[in-house]
Amino acid sequence: MSTTLTQAKIPPSKHEFSEIVHRLEAGGSMLPDTPENLMQIIGIYKAYAVPMDFYWRDLLYIAERVFLNPLPAFKYFLPQEYLDLHNHYAGDDADLRIWRGEATAHPELLEFMEKGETFKGSKLFHHLWHDRINMEFAEACMRAMLWHQGMGGRFYDYLEDPEYIANADRAIKAYFKGNPLMLGLHKLFPNMFYEKVRELSYYSNLGLFWEVMAPVFFEMSDIYDEGGFKGVPDAMQFLVNGIFAVAGRPIYHHVYIRGECYEIIPKSKGFTWLYEAALPYVEAVFYRTAPFRGTKSYNAQAQQVPDEQKDFHYGILYADVFPVGSAGIPPTLLMQDMFHFLPQYLLDYYQEYCRGEDDILIQLGITFQRSMYNVTSAVIQALRTALLYPLDDPNPKHLLKNRQFFEMQMDRFKRPEARLHDIQNQEYR
Amino acid sequence: MLTALLLVPFIGAVLIGFLPIPEGSNLPRKLAFAIAAGLFAYSFWLLTQLDLSSASLQFVEYLPWAKAIGLNYNLGTDGLSLPFVALNGLLTWIAIYSTKENVQRPRLYYALILFVNAGVTGAFIAQNLLLFLLFYEIELIPVYFLIAIWGGSKSQYAATKFLLYTAVSGILILAAFLGMAWLGGSSSFDVASISTEGLSQRTQLILLTLLLVGFGIKIPLVPLHTWQPDSYVESAPPVAILLGGILAKMGVYGLLRFGLGLFPQTWHLVAPGLAIIGSITVIYGALSAIAQKDIKRMVAYSSIGHMGYILVAAAASTELSVLGAVAQAISHGLILALLFELVGIVEEKVGTRELDVLNGLMNPIRGLPLVSALLIAAGMASAGIPGLVGFAAEFIVFQGSFSVFPICTLLCILASGLTAVYFAILLNRTCFGKLDNKLAYYPLVARSQQIPALVLTAIILVLGIQPNWLLRWIEPTTNAISQTFSQPEIIATSQPHSPTIKAPTLTR
Repeated sequence: MSTTLTQAKIPPSKHEFSEIVHRLEAGGSMLPDTPENLMQIIGIYKAYAVPMDFYWRDLLYIAERVFLNPLPAFKYFLPQEYLDLHNHYAGDDADLRIWRGEATAHPELLEFMEKGETFKGSKLFHHLWHDRINMEFAEACMRAMLWHQGMGGRFYDYLEDPEYIANADRAIKAYFKGNPLMLGLHKLFPNMFYEKVRELSYYSNLGLFWEVMAPVFFEMSDIYDEGGFKGVPDAMQFLVNGIFAVAGRPIYHHVYIRGECYEIIPKSKGFTWLYEAALPYVEAVFYRTAPFRGTKSYNAQAQQVPDEQKDFHYGILYADVFPVGSAGIPPTLLMQDMFHFLPQYLLDYYQEYCRGEDDILIQLGITFQRSMYNVTSAVIQALRTALLYPLDDPNPKHLLKNRQFFEMQMDRFKRPEARLHDIQNQEYR
Repeated sequence: MLTALLLVPFIGAVLIGFLPIPEGSNLPRKLAFAIAAGLFAYSFWLLTQLDLSSASLQFVEYLPWAKAIGLNYNLGTDGLSLPFVALNGLLTWIAIYSTKENVQRPRLYYALILFVNAGVTGAFIAQNLLLFLLFYEIELIPVYFLIAIWGGSKSQYAATKFLLYTAVSGILILAAFLGMAWLGGSSSFDVASISTEGLSQRTQLILLTLLLVGFGIKIPLVPLHTWQPDSYVESAPPVAILLGGILAKMGVYGLLRFGLGLFPQTWHLVAPGLAIIGSITVIYGALSAIAQKDIKRMVAYSSIGHMGYILVAAAASTELSVLGAVAQAISHGLILALLFELVGIVEEKVGTRELDVLNGLMNPIRGLPLVSALLIAAGMASAGIPGLVGFAAEFIVFQGSFSVFPICTLLCILASGLTAVYFAILLNRTCFGKLDNKLAYYPLVARSQQIPALVLTAIILVLGIQPNWLLRWIEPTTNAISQTFSQPEIIATSQPHSPTIKAPTLTR
């Protein structure tokens, strides 16, 4: 299954990114296969996974417990119960053990929550001093998924379903029981709380998505430390396998009110991880999201922001990472989070380039961009596996179908903002 | 006391130049740094010792030297010159500090800088015309070398231009001085013994014109300014700081001390013309700066514009306007030094001064955020935004000269609006926008490299909020100078039917 084999059967691609198309056809990633790239992306997966371990726990906590609290002042204060919550893909009692580590919160996360950058202090102090995980970033991702809607799957349609409204209505009434003010509001403006519950369903959706990704990234880091990955394609293949392994995990939204569980989206509806969480997430967060306030003008007359949501191109695959740290650049929040959990080998690596520790936020942001190109490659390969033909298919027609698919995916990176071209070069940092 | 200000840098220069210091040693830099710091501290201490109740010369030193030609070693200082001496100490210190550690031929470089310092100080404290001229010319040679050896690609051309212009300026001033002494029948060239009162108005006018052209080249005034943008742009940043910050102030000082001070009657005659030239200079500088594509050239033209204010103020010669002229000269020295310092850092780190290439330097992580922030502060100070020293000085100038030359003053105010225009252009292109991802791997600005700019910014801010800390030294002397004029007379002759507008004065 080498490049020459595939190319012998069908003529070379004439696409702008033909080199990358050929690499994908040979089972590779959009990211060039160099040891430096492998080291970078694995290191950043690890740094990303630790805050992600907080994100998914807190997203579920908000969806399930905080629920409609009108003044959710403490929604980022994760109770012990949710720190101890067992990840379904790690630990001894896992549904499918992806990471060999513990199912409860990651020890580095616990240590950071306790000490932060400053010193051991109360949660409130760390929160007010902004010495904390930037949970706002996770919420922004959730909101991008909610707002971009219709990206395949049935999840969003179900949020308009009478059955969903009835479920939500029951939960709303139970939650506000004995609170005539809120019940009255609900009576007067029923759509207000329904819409809020829809948002909370996306909290749950994203929380369940990241519950999978965190152990995947932890395990990849462990495998790399053990010398298990030979190159970038190996790392991508691990992701592809991971995607298929958990593709069928249910996506649901349960709410716990006074010890009772209200199933707003029951597991029995058959929503699954791949179609209702992973693919919409990649589309919404990697490709689309929303224009950064610090980069684009929302002025309608300036016509800087597209009219159609499908034309949005502000995700991490297109983002300009250089202004990270400035006002109006949302990924800064994530970069700051990952900064706390970088493995030593990445810290040493960044020291050697550009401004050393002074611009680590940007260097790690570009590494993150590289790693997300690898994740997107995994998604593209997984889609190809699911919808089309194997890479070593003997039939040239099938191979041409594969090529069309790859070229169609690469078309999305033709716009000048796309960083696909940049990440081919190791000097982009 | 004043001799020390001359001897210390001179001896220092000789030591650095001729002592057997091993190659690659950091000693020349350390020595020069220590001397400059000491000089600044000493001149600041002298300021505190200045008797503000008297307008007469202080710390006078007199030593007969060459009696035959009337050259005496006659030093003295007052509120007009001592602030310049302190500024000289400060800027020399900053120039030495902001010189790269690995500067080529360090011994020659630091020796020349100290030499310039001695020459400039000497010019400010000399109370003998020939002695003044001696120092005025002495500074020429080291500056020529400083521009030519350590400057940019066209530095030979710029240095030669500077040399020729300044030499001509020196000749004109010499001619004027000789005329003043010989025709006036003075026994020596001591300033105190010079009097032009007995001369006919025509002779006075010729002598004053010689002085005006001579010092006008140095200040510089339009149309005598063309050496200035070239030599500022082609100089290394520390040299540009000295050139623009303090050397140009010798012209201002000479104009006030010898032009205004020694020709009280004839000054009225030329004043309207001077005011017009001043306002043309201001407008010309601002408009030329707007057209520039190189930030250093922009700053150079801004410097021309700011000198015009001084001429208008000197022409008006009211109590307030003369005070404003000196304050403007000092404030301009501080602001220009800050601007050149920052532009130098930008050029060093980014590698260009082109407005069309520079972009996004405010970026907090990959850009030069502190340098950009200070550049904005410096631009605002230069444009006359209240709270910074530029506003205080310009406002006194406007306030003082409006009663005498209202139209010229209004033109100056208009030009200070244009100053804001080109600084907005400069800051917008340089600091704002976004970085070019292909180029933006600039080296970090070391913390120690930021210190001179921070010091200057602090001074500019403090003097802007508390301008009296600057004005109190100057005011007694400038009041005395302007009182030698019969102020109401010109107002009465030039505006016979309008009511007399009393120029407001600062209360002390």
